Amino acid sequence: MTLQNSNRSNTLSCAEFQEQLPDLFAAGASNGHISDPDLLEHLRSCTNCTALVRDLQYIADQAKQLLQPTHEPSDSVWKKIQEGLSSEQGYSVLPDKK
Amino acid sequence: MEVQGLQMTEPTTAPGLFKRNPPIAGEAEAIERAKAGDAEAFSKLYALHKRRVYTLCLRMLGNVSEAEDMTQEAFLHLFRKIGSFRGESAFSTWLHRLTVNLVLMHLRKKGLQLVSLEETINPSEEDSPKRDFGSRDTQLAGSVDRVALERAVASLPPGYRMVFVLHDVEGFEHNEIAVMLECSTGNSKSQLHKARLKLRELLRQSEPTPQADLKEAAL
Repeated sequence: MTLQNSNRSNTLSCAEFQEQLPDLFAAGASNGHISDPDLLEHLRSCTNCTALVRDLQYIADQAKQLLQPTHEPSDSVWKKIQEGLSSEQGYSVLPDKK
Repeated sequence: MEVQGLQMTEPTTAPGLFKRNPPIAGEAEAIERAKAGDAEAFSKLYALHKRRVYTLCLRMLGNVSEAEDMTQEAFLHLFRKIGSFRGESAFSTWLHRLTVNLVLMHLRKKGLQLVSLEETINPSEEDSPKRDFGSRDTQLAGSVDRVALERAVASLPPGYRMVFVLHDVEGFEHNEIAVMLECSTGNSKSQLHKARLKLRELLRQSEPTPQADLKEAAL
């Protein structure tokens, strides 16, 4: 499928539409929140770009669940912190419990 | 806060940061006690935040040993600098900013300091996401679990992964990322977009195909 005739709307090509996406997403504009009539027109008529915007928004939304941590440092990290503080500032009373 | 040349100021409160990082029970009291030098309180702060700080380091560095070293560094810096925390942002946001700056400084020391990150974080051509002007309409929404996403993020080229983790996971704004990475805001937006495109590619590749499902069912 060529760039020129792929899902081309009357106003914008897919390439032209997709070039705007970094700024659109940065401005918080996902599907349904785009005000530029040319971009909206392309989105209405192009299933490919609609799917792209939907997927990218989905990925951004799903990323938020990664804020919850999944990994735990080994016990040696806390031991080294204790040692580090003891040696440089004389804090020798840091408890063992984590 | 000064972290070996890096200015550590509390960010102006960005919308949603307190919402994404709500106060943890007992945290405020532990912070105040730790400021007064209470070692037990510092131990509590470590227990509350070690997993998130370590996970952040691991995602940024992709290496367990380095991630543990940077976790250690982050908490040592925290102990020294906690007196400058004024509570204008969520404590975890402040701690994460401190951690990100330490990790970036570490990466620059490793060899990225001669050239700006903006130039070095661009991946090779083969790692770049393919442009998508085709008409395949496979819906990704609803099909991606946390494990698959975590795996895909881990396999991103470092520059893409950095911006994606900072923006989409940690919630930093593009202007903040631009300062941290010493690049332009436009570059941050562009890197993030490429990161998401690459993730889409990787996640689609990892989706089970109907043929694979049939084979699996036949076994």
